[in-house]
Amino acid sequence: MKLKNLFVMTAAALAATPSLADINVGVIASMTGPAAALGAETRKAVSLFPATVGGEKVNFILLDDTTDPTAAVKNARKLISEDKVDAILGPNLISTATAIADVANAEKVPMISVAPLDVSGDKRGFVFRSEPSADLMVQRVVADMLANGVKTVGFIGFSDSWGEVLHKALTKAAEGKITIVASERYGRADPSVQAQALKVISAKPDAVFVGASGTPAAMPQITLRERGFKGRIYQSHGVTSKEFLRVGGKNVEGALIPVGPVLVAEQLPDSHPSKKSAVAFVQTLEAKYGADSRSTFAGASWDAWLLLQNAITGAQKAKIKAGTPEFRAALRDGIEKTSKLVGTNGVYTMGPNDHAGYDASAIVLIKVENNHWKLVK
Amino acid sequence: MNSRIETASRAPAPGASRVGPKHVLGLFLVLLAAAPLVLPDFYVTLLNYIGLSALVALGLVLLTGVGGLTSFGQAAFVGLGAYTTAWLTTSQELPGWLAAIGSSPWLALIAGLVLTALVAIILGSVTLKLSGHFLPLGTMAWGISLYFLFGNMEFLGGHGGLSGIPALKLFGFELIENRHYYYLVWAFVLLGLFTTRNLLDSREGRAIRALKGGMVMAEAMGVDTSRARMVIFVIAALQACAAGWLYAHLQRFVNPTPFGLHIGIEYLFMAVVGGAGQVWGALVGAGVITVLKQWLQDILPKVFGSAGNFEVIVFGVMMVIVLQRARDGLWPLLAKIVPVREAPRVIDASAQPLDKKPQPPMGEMILEAKNVTRKFGGLVANNNMSLSVKAGEILALIGPNGAGKSTMFNQLSGVDTPTSGEVLFRGKPVAGHQSREIAGLGMSRTFQHVRLLPKMTVLENVAIGAHLRGSKGVLPAAWRLDRVEEARLMREAAIQVERVGLGEFMHTEAGSLALGQQRILEIARALCSDPCLLLLDEPAAGLRFKEKQALTELLRRLKSEGMAVLIVEHDMDFVMSLVDRVVVMEFGEKIAEGLPEEIQKDPAVLEAYLGGV
Amino acid sequence: MDAEIIAMLGQDGVTNGAIYALLALALVLVFAVTRVIFIPQGEFLAWGALTMAALEGGHLPTTVWLLAGLGVLALGVDLFSATGRRTIGRSVLWNLAYPLALAGLLWVLPLAELSTWARVIVTLAIVVPMGPMLYRVAFQPVAEAPVLVLLIISVAVHLAMVGFGLLAFGPEGSRTTPFSEAQLELGTLMVGGHTLVVILASLVLIVGLYLFFDRTLYGKALRATAINRNGARLMGISPALAGRLTFFLAAVIGVLSGVLVAPLTTIYYDSGFLIGLKGFVAAIIGGLASYPLAAAGAILVGLLESFSSFWASAFKDVIVFTLIIPVLMWRSLTSHHVEEEE
Repeated sequence: MKLKNLFVMTAAALAATPSLADINVGVIASMTGPAAALGAETRKAVSLFPATVGGEKVNFILLDDTTDPTAAVKNARKLISEDKVDAILGPNLISTATAIADVANAEKVPMISVAPLDVSGDKRGFVFRSEPSADLMVQRVVADMLANGVKTVGFIGFSDSWGEVLHKALTKAAEGKITIVASERYGRADPSVQAQALKVISAKPDAVFVGASGTPAAMPQITLRERGFKGRIYQSHGVTSKEFLRVGGKNVEGALIPVGPVLVAEQLPDSHPSKKSAVAFVQTLEAKYGADSRSTFAGASWDAWLLLQNAITGAQKAKIKAGTPEFRAALRDGIEKTSKLVGTNGVYTMGPNDHAGYDASAIVLIKVENNHWKLVK
Repeated sequence: MNSRIETASRAPAPGASRVGPKHVLGLFLVLLAAAPLVLPDFYVTLLNYIGLSALVALGLVLLTGVGGLTSFGQAAFVGLGAYTTAWLTTSQELPGWLAAIGSSPWLALIAGLVLTALVAIILGSVTLKLSGHFLPLGTMAWGISLYFLFGNMEFLGGHGGLSGIPALKLFGFELIENRHYYYLVWAFVLLGLFTTRNLLDSREGRAIRALKGGMVMAEAMGVDTSRARMVIFVIAALQACAAGWLYAHLQRFVNPTPFGLHIGIEYLFMAVVGGAGQVWGALVGAGVITVLKQWLQDILPKVFGSAGNFEVIVFGVMMVIVLQRARDGLWPLLAKIVPVREAPRVIDASAQPLDKKPQPPMGEMILEAKNVTRKFGGLVANNNMSLSVKAGEILALIGPNGAGKSTMFNQLSGVDTPTSGEVLFRGKPVAGHQSREIAGLGMSRTFQHVRLLPKMTVLENVAIGAHLRGSKGVLPAAWRLDRVEEARLMREAAIQVERVGLGEFMHTEAGSLALGQQRILEIARALCSDPCLLLLDEPAAGLRFKEKQALTELLRRLKSEGMAVLIVEHDMDFVMSLVDRVVVMEFGEKIAEGLPEEIQKDPAVLEAYLGGV
Repeated sequence: MDAEIIAMLGQDGVTNGAIYALLALALVLVFAVTRVIFIPQGEFLAWGALTMAALEGGHLPTTVWLLAGLGVLALGVDLFSATGRRTIGRSVLWNLAYPLALAGLLWVLPLAELSTWARVIVTLAIVVPMGPMLYRVAFQPVAEAPVLVLLIISVAVHLAMVGFGLLAFGPEGSRTTPFSEAQLELGTLMVGGHTLVVILASLVLIVGLYLFFDRTLYGKALRATAINRNGARLMGISPALAGRLTFFLAAVIGVLSGVLVAPLTTIYYDSGFLIGLKGFVAAIIGGLASYPLAAAGAILVGLLESFSSFWASAFKDVIVFTLIIPVLMWRSLTSHHVEEEE
C-alpha cells in the first residue's frame, strides 16, 4: 500500500512538474479547519489572478494548510522543492505564517503573507506582508472612541491568536487614554456568550470592542444588545464580509468597523488613492461570485499578488530567467523596492526597514446601516 | 527432558521461506540510511514528519494495541515536550538554574522528559484505574485542557506561540538542513522501535501483553497490572514528549494547534490503521497516513478541480473502508506479502535453574478456610464454608452446577473478597488481599474458563507463571540487560511445558490448542510459579482418556513431592481415583466431607446429585 | 456579582445544559446498544441546524443531495450483501425512492413560505434518515469488531461528515429565528421565550424516550440488546435492526437539538464536535450507562460552563474539561477489584 502510494505520488508529481520557463507561484491558505472562512476568501482572489505576466505563463499552485502550522510547513517545503516556486503567497493566519516564514527565509524564496505577521527585525529577510498590522487598525478604532468621548471600553474576543493580537493592540493603543474595564474571551463555536456579555455589561463600559472575525463576531454583539447594552460597539477588521450582516441581522446595526477600503469601494471619495483599484477589483470579484461577495481578505490576497506582479515585471525587464535563485532574489528586491503601489486595501511603499509598507491613511471606518456597509465620514 | 528442549529449539520449520527477519531488517536499515542521499528534498521532509508521527504512534502501539488502553491525548504530551524546550531555549527571563538548562536543547529534552513523566504519572493515577471506555474519553478531556492551557499561558506565547527556537547542535554541528535532521529523527525512531520490541519480549513485556484480555489471570500470576498500565502509559508519554522536542527544533516554532485533540486523534488513527498490535504497525501507519494525505492533496484538485474541500472527505471514507476490510490494520497484510520466517525462540538448556522456595513438610496445614460467606446482594453464593488442605494432599471440591465452587475458589485466591469469614494460607490471613500478593505466597491456580493469551506461544504463556521468580524491570528489558534471567525463566517454562506433556506445542500459538490442552497449559503456567498449593478449576474437562491418565499421573507425582492440591471437578471417576478427601457443596453450603468412598455412599450427596433416590 | 447575574447565568447554563443532556442521552443510547462511541453525534446537530437555516433562507438544503448520496451507498451495501428480494425491495424504497421523492417534494414546495413547524418537520425528514443509513454503511459491516475499531471508524466518519458539511454549507455560520420572540418576566429575571422552548422540548424528549423504552416493544428490544447482545439475538432481536433503530433515535435527538440550538447561537459546519464533546463529558459523569445521571451531568456541565465563562472566560474550556478528572477519580475510588475488559 505504502510503496504503491509512493509510486503513484511520484508519478503524479512528475506529471505535474511544470516546464521551467513558466513562473510558479505557490499559494497556501486555510481552506479547511477553524480558519476555513479566511481560506475561502483567498481562494476567490486566486481564481482572479491572471494567467500570464508580461507574456510569461504563471502557474498558481494552491494548497490547503488545514489551519495547522505543521501542514503549512509541509506545504511550503513541497512548493519550494517539488514545484520549484518563485514566490509564496499566504497563508491566512499569524501562526501558519510564522511557521512558514522560517522556511522561506532559509530557502531564500520571497513570501508575501496575508496575515499580519511580525516582519520586523531579523525575521524580515524574504518575508513581506500585504495585510496591515492590527495596531494600525485598532488605532483607528481608538481614535474614533476618543473623538466620541469614550472613557472606558470592554473587550470580548476570540480565545485564539487573533483575539490575543487584538487585545494586545487595544491595550497598546488605549494606554493612558482609555481604560479597559473588562476583557473576556470566547470560542468561535461556543453555544453562548451570555456570561461574558454579562460580565462586560456589569463593568459598565462606554463602548465595547469585539476582537473576533467573520460571522462568529456577530454573537457577542447580538448578546450585548439583547442584554440591553446601549453603548457603541466596535468590531475588528476581521469582520469583512456580508456574511456577518446575514448572521447578525438587526442586532449588528450600528457596528463600527475599521477596514481596508474594499468593502465600501464605491462610497469612497474620489480623492481616496485606492478607490479606482478597489472598485475595479470589487467589480471583477462580484461579477464572478455574485453581489456582495467582496471581503477585505480577498482584497489582501489580491494586493499580495499585485505586490508580486509588480516585482515580476521588474525582474522580467532585467531579463532574469524564472525558476532561478537570481529570479527569486530579484523578486525579493523588487518587492522591497515597491513604491506607492496602489492596492485595493491601500497604498504600499516598502523599504529595507519596512516589509509591510502599508499607509495607514487608507484605513476607513465603516458602520452597519440598514444591513449595509456605510462609510463613516 | 533436556534433550527434547534442545531439539525443539534447533528445528527449523520445514518449507518456510528463506528470508529471515535479519535480512528484511538489514534491507530496511540500508534503505533508511540511503534515503536522504537519493530522495528529493520534499520527500526527506515528509520522512522527517513520518518519523515524528511514528514515534508517537509507537507509544500508542504499546499503550493501545498491546496494553488495550486507548488514548486520544498523546498530542498533549507532544506539546509538553515541544513547549518545554521552546520555553527554556527562547525565554530571556528565566531564573538562574532554569536558564542553565535552557542553554542546551539536550538538557531541555531531559527537563521535558522529567516533566512529562510527572504529568503522566499524575494523569495516569487518576484515569488508568478506569475501565476501558472511560479512559479514551478521559484522555480526550485532558487533551483539550492541556491544549487550552498552552494557549492561555502568557509565558508560552499564548495562542500566538513561541518562535525563534534555536537549531540543534550535535558535537558542534548545527542540524539545520532537513537531510541532517533526518538522521536524528530516525535515530530516535529506531531507538524507540528496538527498545519497545525488546521490552515486549521480556518478563515485563509478557505482563504488559497480558493487560489486554488477561488481567485477572495476570494478577493471579503475581503481575501488578495497575503498575504495568502505568509503566506503558509513562513510556508512551515519554516517546510522545521526545517527538515533541524533535518537532520544536525542526519547526523552530511552536503554537498550540499541533497539540490539539484533532492531532491526538490522528496519532491514534496512525497506530490503528498501521496495525496497533505490532511495533512496525506504528511505522506503517505513520507512513501511510502522512503519504496518503499528501497524495490526496496532489491528486484530488486534479479530479475535482479545486483544492481543500475533498481531501478530508476522501480520507475519512478511505479510513472507514480500510478498517472494515482490515480490522487489525495494514501491517498484518504487509507481513503476509513478505513471508518472514520467525525463528523459534532458543531455549538455553544450560541456563542456571531458578531458585525454588523450600517446600513445606508433608502434612503441614497449607490452606484453611473458616466460615467463609459471600453474598451478592440478597444472593448467598457461599454460606459458612470451611475446608482445609495439607501439604501432600489432594482435596476435591465437588457439587452440582451453581453450587458456588468457583465463587469459593475466587474467595480463596483473592479474586474476590468474602463478606465474612477467614482464609488462612500457611497460617497467614489472606482474605481480601490482592490475588497477586497471595500468588507471591505460593498459591497458584487455573481457571474454569480458560484464561490465556491466544496470540502468544505456549512457552510464553507458561512463562507468565514465573513472573514473580524474576526481578528485571523495564529498563534492563529495553536494553537487553535481562538476558541471563530471561534464559533462566524460559528454561523453567520449557521444563514445565515438557512436564505436563505439551512439549511438541512449545512454540505454537496457545489459541490454536484444543480446549483440553489449554487447560493443561494453565497447569504448567501455575506450576511455573513454584507454588506449594495448586487450585485447579475443572482441569479434566475436555480431556481425552489418555490425557486424563497423564494428568492423574502428574498430580500424583506432585502430591508425592509435597504439593497441596485443591481441585474442583465434575468427572467423578477422575476425582474418586485421584483425591485423598472430598468436600461436597450444594446451594453454597458444605453438605458433606470425607474420604472418596464415604462420600460415594453419603445419602445427602446422592440426594444432591440424583435429585433424591 | 448579584442575584440577578446568578439567575441569568443559571438560566444560560440550564439552557445549554438541556442541549448537552439531549446529546448525552443519544451518546449513552448508542454506546449501550451498539458499543459505538458516536463522535459524529454533534454533526447531526450541526446538519440539523444548518438545514433549518437553509430552509429559512428559502434555499434547497444541500443535505438533500447528501441524503440521496448516502442512500445510494446504503443501497449498494445492501445489494452487495443481498439476502432476499424483500430486503432489497425495502432497501430500494428507503434508500433510493425516499430521498428522490423528498428532493422532488422540496423542489415544488415554496420553501421560503413554510411555517416554523413545517420547516422543523422537513429538516427532520431530510437529516434523520441519514442516521440508519450511516449505520448500515459504516458500522453494520463491523458490528462485532472491538470497541477500539468502532471508535476509530466513528472518528473517520466524523472527519468525512465535517468535510461534507464544509462542502454543503460553506465555512460561514448561520443562525435561525427563535421559535418564540416573547420575553417573560419571572421576578426580576427576563426569560426569553426560546429558552423555555428549549427546556420544555428537552423535557418532552426525555420523557418521550423514557416512555419509548418502558412501554413500547421496540424500546424494550433495544433495552434488552443493551443489557445482553447475544441474549437479545437469541430472543430474535436482530442486532442490525437494533443498530439502525438506535442510530435513527440518535439522529432524531441530534437534529432536534440542532434545531433548538440554532436560534441561540451561530452554528458552523464544524460546531458539532465541541458541543458533542461536552455531551460526552456529561455522558461520562453518567458512567455511559445511566440516563438520569447523564442528564444531571449535562446540566452540571452547562452551569459550570456558564459560571466559568463569567469568572475566567479564557480558561472556560480548561475548567469544563478538567471537571471530568474529579468525577473519574471518584469513579476509580469506588471500583476495587481488577476486572476484565472487552
